[in-house]
Amino acid sequence: MIFWIGKLLAPFHAFSFLRLAEYLSSRSIGAALTAVLLTLWITPKVIWWLQRRAFVDQVRETGIPSAFDKAGTPVMGGVVLVGVVTASCLLWCNLGSGYALLVLLGMVWFGAIGFVDDRAKMMAKSGDKGMSEPKKLLLQGAFAALLVAVLASPWTPLPAAESARLHLPFLKTAVLDNPWFYFPFVFLFVLLVGNSVNITDGMDGLAIVPSVFAISVLGVFGYLLGNAIWSRYLFYPFLPGAGELAVFASAFAGAGIGFLWFNAYPAQIFMGDTGSLSIGGSLAVASVLLKQEALFVILGGLFVAEAFSSQVQDKIGIKLLGRRLFARAPLHHAMAYNGLAETKVVVRLWIVAGILALAALATLKLR
Amino acid sequence: MLQNPAEARRLKTGTRILLTGGGTAGHVNPALAIGAALAEPGSEVLFVGVKGRAEEQVVPREGIPIHFVRASGFPGARPSPAFVRFLLDLAVGTAQAAATLLRFRPDVIIGTGGFASAPVIFAATFLKKLRLSKARVFVHEQNAVPGKLNRLVGRYAEKVFVTFPETLSLFPGNGALTGYPVRKRIGHVAPEEARARLDFTVPEGRTVVFVFGGSQGSRSLNRGLVDALGDLMPHAGRLFVVHGTGLFKGGGYDAEADTAARLATRYTEEERARIATFYLSRSYFHDIASVYALASLVVIRGGSGSLNEVARMGIPALVVPKANLPGDHQVANARALERAGGAEVIYEETVLSDGRLVEVLDGARLARRILALAEDPVRRADMSKKGRDVLGIDAAAEIAHHVRHGRASTVIDPTLVPAPTVVSNAALLSRLEKAAAAAGRSYRVEDVVEPRDLAWFRSRAASLLVHDEWEARNLGVKLLGLLDGTEKVPLLLALLADRTPAPLLQRLLGGDFAQVGFVRRNVYTALARLDVVDAGVEEALLAGFTDPYWEVRAEAARTAARFAGRLARHVEIVAALGKGLCDRNLEAAAAAAEALGTLGGERDALPALLALADYRFWKVRAAALRGVLSLVERGEVRDREKLKQALPGFLLTSTDFRPQFEMKLSYRRVLEALSRGQEAS
Repeated sequence: MIFWIGKLLAPFHAFSFLRLAEYLSSRSIGAALTAVLLTLWITPKVIWWLQRRAFVDQVRETGIPSAFDKAGTPVMGGVVLVGVVTASCLLWCNLGSGYALLVLLGMVWFGAIGFVDDRAKMMAKSGDKGMSEPKKLLLQGAFAALLVAVLASPWTPLPAAESARLHLPFLKTAVLDNPWFYFPFVFLFVLLVGNSVNITDGMDGLAIVPSVFAISVLGVFGYLLGNAIWSRYLFYPFLPGAGELAVFASAFAGAGIGFLWFNAYPAQIFMGDTGSLSIGGSLAVASVLLKQEALFVILGGLFVAEAFSSQVQDKIGIKLLGRRLFARAPLHHAMAYNGLAETKVVVRLWIVAGILALAALATLKLR
Repeated sequence: MLQNPAEARRLKTGTRILLTGGGTAGHVNPALAIGAALAEPGSEVLFVGVKGRAEEQVVPREGIPIHFVRASGFPGARPSPAFVRFLLDLAVGTAQAAATLLRFRPDVIIGTGGFASAPVIFAATFLKKLRLSKARVFVHEQNAVPGKLNRLVGRYAEKVFVTFPETLSLFPGNGALTGYPVRKRIGHVAPEEARARLDFTVPEGRTVVFVFGGSQGSRSLNRGLVDALGDLMPHAGRLFVVHGTGLFKGGGYDAEADTAARLATRYTEEERARIATFYLSRSYFHDIASVYALASLVVIRGGSGSLNEVARMGIPALVVPKANLPGDHQVANARALERAGGAEVIYEETVLSDGRLVEVLDGARLARRILALAEDPVRRADMSKKGRDVLGIDAAAEIAHHVRHGRASTVIDPTLVPAPTVVSNAALLSRLEKAAAAAGRSYRVEDVVEPRDLAWFRSRAASLLVHDEWEARNLGVKLLGLLDGTEKVPLLLALLADRTPAPLLQRLLGGDFAQVGFVRRNVYTALARLDVVDAGVEEALLAGFTDPYWEVRAEAARTAARFAGRLARHVEIVAALGKGLCDRNLEAAAAAAEALGTLGGERDALPALLALADYRFWKVRAAALRGVLSLVERGEVRDREKLKQALPGFLLTSTDFRPQFEMKLSYRRVLEALSRGQEAS
């Protein structure tokens, strides 16, 4: 909105300072600050509101509230995240950009699925009775299909030549340019990445910080790849307009930091599936739009490891082999099993995520 | 109430009746009986069944034309070739049935279950939706637990006729109790006439017990009866046992020959001569009505057909239901009649013999139950009356009444309809687990399960131990532990001893044996619960300490700790636990350390535990300290000063802590105070 107001008014001398609104850097900073402040202001109210409506984490087995466990903490903090990021983007993004619209749609769509799931758990008064797995996948698949359809259509925000290309980190040229491979791959990628954060979200502050790292790195990629000079210098495909993703990423990082304010151990609010799925959806769409799908293995290495360990343990170990393949899964539970306190597990995994984010950033130059 | 639309549609002459149901005679006969009751002069009857099954022979003999459709039994909804074939058969069968329906244009369709009826009912429902058929669809369920297809198909039927009141709750809205339609073959014979008609004589004044496992016979019943004869011998003067062994031959079992051989090996010639004075066996009775006429008591299987037959004739029954059938329907049938007061139930035991399930009926127990009933004419008279009351309805006529008038001929008080009595294994497990979690160490299975059900539950759980799927075996293991199935310990140990390797693919993925890790681990959990210590168990413990799966090693160590003070191979076990301290897995190492503390002494355990002072994982260090504590508490440590000097060597940094949230603590205290007040008032 501010982008348009700036465009409209900047020619008038009195509003010439609104030229700033055209610069990605200033809009990104604005988006981040708006998001942080808005989150800090609104979250206490949301905590109160969620508590009132009994949208709190459900006790699993016993009915007695314990002094040690976390049942009773308001859940669905993801609503704040999604709401604030959307508001900040409406203010600071160029809403005519397909990049911004697609990533916002991805976030809201996945967030909505998470919201319904969270609500089902609240209604059933059980942490185990959310939306059924196939139903969730179906709704997520619908979005993935929509995204693929847009990317394959003439309305794709990407340059036509790039539409079906697959890039790998460290390689200057695309390795594959085959729509029959690429689009099914994107479909699966969105489903897998979209759900990976959900599994990571199991300890206070564990999901939000690595998410902020990851989305920030993607924001940097968006800024550089949307810039003709930088993209040529770094041997990346030039994606005109991808800079809007930097604004989105800033808003997201701001909201994430604001959320951490309350979510840090011991948490006053959880993000719930609403939060984790919306983060997953945003990361997935942003990676696809920036042609950095393969980079996600490094960038979101933590999410990948968490999801992988959990799936291997459950599907191969417990269901097929009738034994545990890891002592515990996902990763953060394995660390807790080894005797680490929750706070320590979280900080260690932040460090790991930070290293992975830096490594992902380093691939910019290592080509 | 009188404006029942069904009433307006009274059957006229020329009604076209389509009967379907089959696979086994148990489904075909009721269909034929209903057909006979419905048919009037001028009506046309057609039977639809599956080729190569019982109906192919039985139906033409009755002079009823038969059409065939494709169908196969439901193999379970999981991706398998059998499931694909089932779907294909269902699709093709439904198409064939639709063609038949369009040609025959029936007014009434009666389905009696079995997979043969599924395509017909599906096709009929489909055609009705398209307004291509006006047929009214009815279903009859013979067993207390309906088959899967009848349960599904029952939703689309105008009415579901059920045999046992227990079943009504599964068909809310359209269920109707009618009983079991018996074909009018077995008439009533007066005892004098029966004596004249039979080719053997029963001495005067004897109570006749008719033991009969169906036309094919039942192995466990036959063998159990032979074993029981010895205990019945002292009562020879008052009893007469008539035994129908059945015609079964094949699969290594010949009903008649096996019975004769068992008699010959179990009893001396002298004993056999005595037995002959009160025992008579035949492979088959052509004039079964006459045998029934003389019988004061029958011992039978739990098939719906035979149960209904004897109940209608007012003969009290001792029922030996066959275990492990789909939905445990024989058990459900038997219990339904038992509940009504018309029968008593005696359960077989399922035991393993050469890795195969064998059902065994304990002869002594059978003899006791036969005698108790044989010598209690008052009870028998009562059972006879109650059995007739509940199952003595003329079912075929009642069904015909329903079809013609749209309602029952008599009204049943709905409050008298009992709930189903059979619990699934999974439901039983969750009930037991909940009780065990709530009661802790004071858990007693008798508080949760009715004592008379225990034997059946245990036998059912034991039969799961040879199931193809490990999930089922696992369920069986857990159940046996919680059901206090002490006598099944050898079966559990056999699972541990079974070292058949898992399929190659699973081994490549990290599997080891066909008896998967969870099964083995849970065997140890069950052993700890069963609290049996014998040579076999100790052998298993020693093997468990070196199992390739860490959860098994940990559980074996915990189990050993529970048996403290009762282990004969104590020294060996302590030595093995000492080695277990070096386990790669911290849980197994910790469990070994704790067990060592409970089992060992100053010489064999203390140094090893102190050596863990700077172990990498604090959980193992903590377990070692707990072990040391238990050594001290048990008075095993004499040189206390030396231990005091050694203790500071323990690396005490720990990276875990337990948070305590003031807010929640206060909240919980308020709740606790409130509930205390409640108890006091």
